[in-house]
Amino acid sequence: MTRTVLELEQLAVATPAGRTLVHDCTLAVRAGETLGLVGESGSGKTLSTRAVAGLLPSGFRSTGAIRIDGHDIASLPARDLRDLRARRLGMVFQTPRAHLNPLRSIGDFMTEALVAVAGEKPDAAHRRAVDLLAEVGIRDPERVMRQRPGELSGGLLQRVMIAATLSMDPPILLADEITTALDVTTQEEVMAVIADLRRHRDLAMLFITHDLALAGAVCDRVAVMKDGRTVETLAAATMREDAADPYTRRLLSAALPPERDDAAAPRREDPVLVVEGLRKTFQVRSPRGRRERFVAVDDVSFSLAAGGALGIVGESGSGKSTTARIICGLETADAGTVAVKGEPWTRPARGAPARRARAGVVQMVFQDPYQSLDPRQTVRACLAEAVAVHRRLAPRREIDRRVAELLAAVRLDADLADARPRALSGGQRQRVAIARALAAEPEILVLDEAVSALDVTTQVEILTLLDTIRRETGVALLMISHDLTTVRRLCDRVAVMHSGRILEQGTIAEVLDAPSADYTRALLDSIPRPGWTPRRRLPPRTSHQPAAAQAAARIVTTGGHP
Amino acid sequence: MSIAQLTRGRVPAPARRAAGRDPLVVAAAVVASAIAVIAVAGPLLAPYDPNQLYVGEVSAPVSLDHPFGTDDLGRDVLSRVLAGAGASVVGPVIVVLLSTLVGTAVAVLSAWFGGVVDGVSTRLVEVIFAIPGLVLAVLAVAMFGKGLVAPVVALSIAYMPIVSRLVRAGARTELGKPYIAALRIQGVGSPTICVRHLLPALLPSILAQATLGFGYAMLDLAAISFLGLGAQPPASDWGVMIAGGQPALLNGAPEQSMFPALLVVVTVLSVNILGARVTSWAEGADR
Repeated sequence: MTRTVLELEQLAVATPAGRTLVHDCTLAVRAGETLGLVGESGSGKTLSTRAVAGLLPSGFRSTGAIRIDGHDIASLPARDLRDLRARRLGMVFQTPRAHLNPLRSIGDFMTEALVAVAGEKPDAAHRRAVDLLAEVGIRDPERVMRQRPGELSGGLLQRVMIAATLSMDPPILLADEITTALDVTTQEEVMAVIADLRRHRDLAMLFITHDLALAGAVCDRVAVMKDGRTVETLAAATMREDAADPYTRRLLSAALPPERDDAAAPRREDPVLVVEGLRKTFQVRSPRGRRERFVAVDDVSFSLAAGGALGIVGESGSGKSTTARIICGLETADAGTVAVKGEPWTRPARGAPARRARAGVVQMVFQDPYQSLDPRQTVRACLAEAVAVHRRLAPRREIDRRVAELLAAVRLDADLADARPRALSGGQRQRVAIARALAAEPEILVLDEAVSALDVTTQVEILTLLDTIRRETGVALLMISHDLTTVRRLCDRVAVMHSGRILEQGTIAEVLDAPSADYTRALLDSIPRPGWTPRRRLPPRTSHQPAAAQAAARIVTTGGHP
Repeated sequence: MSIAQLTRGRVPAPARRAAGRDPLVVAAAVVASAIAVIAVAGPLLAPYDPNQLYVGEVSAPVSLDHPFGTDDLGRDVLSRVLAGAGASVVGPVIVVLLSTLVGTAVAVLSAWFGGVVDGVSTRLVEVIFAIPGLVLAVLAVAMFGKGLVAPVVALSIAYMPIVSRLVRAGARTELGKPYIAALRIQGVGSPTICVRHLLPALLPSILAQATLGFGYAMLDLAAISFLGLGAQPPASDWGVMIAGGQPALLNGAPEQSMFPALLVVVTVLSVNILGARVTSWAEGADR
């Protein structure tokens, strides 16, 4: 058995007010090993990791033992501890963009620590930075060194962050949800980089994620955390068989590819929504200050059957959200038509009565339940307002009754009716958002990444709820998502979008089980599963190219106006 | 979960409790309410008739009979300060009310409609912004005669752009948020969205700006009265009193200018401290 490089024993973390958030986090990372730390948001994963790195918010106290390379950090003088952490630990976070100064080049960022901390000469630091960027799979490091964060995609930035962390040669890497903010395909690229590093560097890693499937695919062992306690630690390869704790089993079942029975879904063949030749461009500025048009949506056509469920899948920037916004009247299309129940809906409704009429047919649930609810409104006020739009003269009692019905429809406790969004969890908020959309008794429900911001277990709950609602009310679902697993679970048809165009569409079986487009295959391959090996791909995959180059392909210059 | 989310939920303690922990804020609240009381009931509290000449010696220093001394005409300074509170406080209040109402209305309409409406109204507001408040007030006095009405209206116009620019920026941010888009998709009417959702979201910054504006308006109105263009003697406006005490100040009797000046300072200060508290409370509570 190899040496243990990082050990947490009964680590507890308490807030300044004395509330204990982490009760007992016990785990050990061996040299060269990757240990996954898995749990829902609020389970204390991030706090525990921050305690190790000495990054707890001010006033937070930790008790229990943290041993780095066998040194108990409580027994070390502050100076030595700082030194130990600087040399032995590297940390990568969820949001690389937030950690980079947008005004400084990647080169400045990469060489700063090497010059200031490691005392290297500028040109030596530059060479080393280029080597590090190459090591994390960046193909034109000299060019990237000259670019600023705004010009790079999220996946590239995350690789820059990993390269910067590696510059100090840490034997232990703390990776906190490093791929959560990325598309599946980009996630695969980053994980491939991590896998390479582990092969070449003998790196021990604590890999924090809420995604058990991902942890199972990339880790040696997985520690499961719930409500501030590590409940069990399992070997990743056999975790499905070994899982003893009921919570782990619930997480595992949530991550399983869902089984569906298509027979029960009510479906009529007449389309409720027909989109033809939709095109939308946005005005942007070129680097030289010229006006150019960026093609966000390009000749998109599809139809949605009444009571059906269509998934539109693609990476961020593929134009899928813009398409949804045009259908909901939040944007105006440049060309093409939108028809709902045979009526032309291409132009947004003008005037209050027309808007109300459309609201009764199409409703939308947004991605971020933290921002799509008015923070000052209680759940009851929010739902009552949505109900009152369509029953303008209804007495108070009738509205109250309808609000109660809606709460029941989304399986939300009536006690929560007087809570404000701040007091609700992400899943509860999303239920409120769904209830609000259902208030109008719509015929089409547009779900714009409606479960992407949620934990895996919550995702399954919400997807099940949406499926039930669809069966009960016969509402047609248009689901915008970057996640093929959720689309497979909920939809009967799927369209794959890339760079503003639809590459292929058809039934779930046609597209996802026998894809014809290379891009669809790449999307499918990038979903973490047991025995998964993340691979690096070659172009024409767009996530591999710098964002600017990717965008250039969709720029049309309009006239010569400077 | 991120650390920001963890700490955020606990910060917005009720404003009362937060204020209770800060003695400065409590003091400011006490002073501000005391000034509000004298502004309403000042003349009743005055121990002497504020305009009665020779109730004591001329330019007498602080004494038991005349706690703030007397002025060069033998009038009781304390009585005059109390009687003048109303005019001195009501002026700035009206300036703040007018500029906030008009500024907010212009800002919300321009942010909501955008496009040409926004462009035209923003340019117009910027033109007004270019004229200094005092110059506009002096101009108004020159056109419409001395007294408080012209400067108050002029200052209201001059302060409007400050409110309007701030609120417009806030409104544009707020209108870009998904919950506004969600309301539109629900078919909620535009006036309802503006009044029931947008304005409450903007209220904290509007309130904060209003308290700042009150301070500036009070100082500007005092300056106008000091120049002899605002309230006219024998009215006991604080600005007039500061101006009237000038000769006595040079002759070694500072009370006549000092006490009204002190009141101006204390009022402005306490309202600003309260304003800062309102802002930080709103920032915490608005999540």
